[in-house]
Amino acid sequence: MPQPLSYTLVITGAPWATQAPQTALSFAQALLKAGHRIDRVFLYGDGVHLASALSAPPSDEQHWPRLWSEFLSGNNITAVACIASALRRGIVDKTEQARYELTASNLRAPFEIAGLGEWVEGNLKSNRVLYFHGAH
Amino acid sequence: MPENVNTTLHIINKAPEHARFRHCLASVQQGDTLLLIEDAVLALLDRERQLPGASYGLETDANARAVANRVPAEQLVDYAGFVQLTVNHSRIINW
Amino acid sequence: MTTLIVIDQPPYGSWTGREALDMTFSLAAFDQPAAMLFLGAGVNWLCKGQAADAVGQKSVEKNLAAAALFGVEQILVDSRACAKYGLETSDLLPGTTAAESISETLGQYSRVVFAG
Repeated sequence: MPQPLSYTLVITGAPWATQAPQTALSFAQALLKAGHRIDRVFLYGDGVHLASALSAPPSDEQHWPRLWSEFLSGNNITAVACIASALRRGIVDKTEQARYELTASNLRAPFEIAGLGEWVEGNLKSNRVLYFHGAH
Repeated sequence: MPENVNTTLHIINKAPEHARFRHCLASVQQGDTLLLIEDAVLALLDRERQLPGASYGLETDANARAVANRVPAEQLVDYAGFVQLTVNHSRIINW
Repeated sequence: MTTLIVIDQPPYGSWTGREALDMTFSLAAFDQPAAMLFLGAGVNWLCKGQAADAVGQKSVEKNLAAAALFGVEQILVDSRACAKYGLETSDLLPGTTAAESISETLGQYSRVVFAG
């Protein structure tokens, strides 16, 4: 097969508010199946909700944060939630919990908190950068 | 399949009535490809709107909205086809 | 390889415009070439005299006015939208460039990005 390409996937739509997490996951699975590489998944804006460890949807609904964390861990893919978007929306890791003296942390592994520099890096280094936005 | 260096893949997920849809259509040039995903698949049925020649809908989204049977099969692609479109175009705009 | 960041939502009612600005300034901070296009209702980000305090937000006027200093190559404005909103050049922040044909404008950039 022709040379595999590297992708950065940016998700800006939240789970249970947009289709972005579902479209992105189906696309990501197809990408790996076709032999391509995912450099990173970057959550931005409302997309950071995908990294919450506290989502509790009804048992007959898809659990998007869990599905994503299983996919990312299972395939060893770097995943980042943008710090500025995450802090505003209350998605925090232990470091930020301590820094802001919050009552809890709730970042779901394997997501990490980082800045827009991760996106800039993807823009620079990945062959393709795709965006999964909300439809509103 | 060789990479199209001079053509663009436009991917849109918004319903035809969304303001951005008009801008997207106006920006599709000769030789470009338009991929309609999520709510945008409805544009394949929209009699008021003319789509550019190389327009495709994502099959799963057309099925979800019960419109796949009203679209020619060759205009629908699956996720593997979606991937291949992104491989074939080095310039991609996600509207 | 300049990235064009596009804003098509007006200011203050939603946050994708701010998120787009953050992306633009991040590119500039990392010395990556960036430009902005304000499209449709988004042209209203460039109006002079925004009093954002009263809606509990920070005005972006100063950031946008200083964009060139931060390294943003161009601030493009959809002319047709300006006409629709009755905006003359004198109503807008200095340093903007009119974009007559959106499709032609987009065609000049290898990367075109919406923040949401």
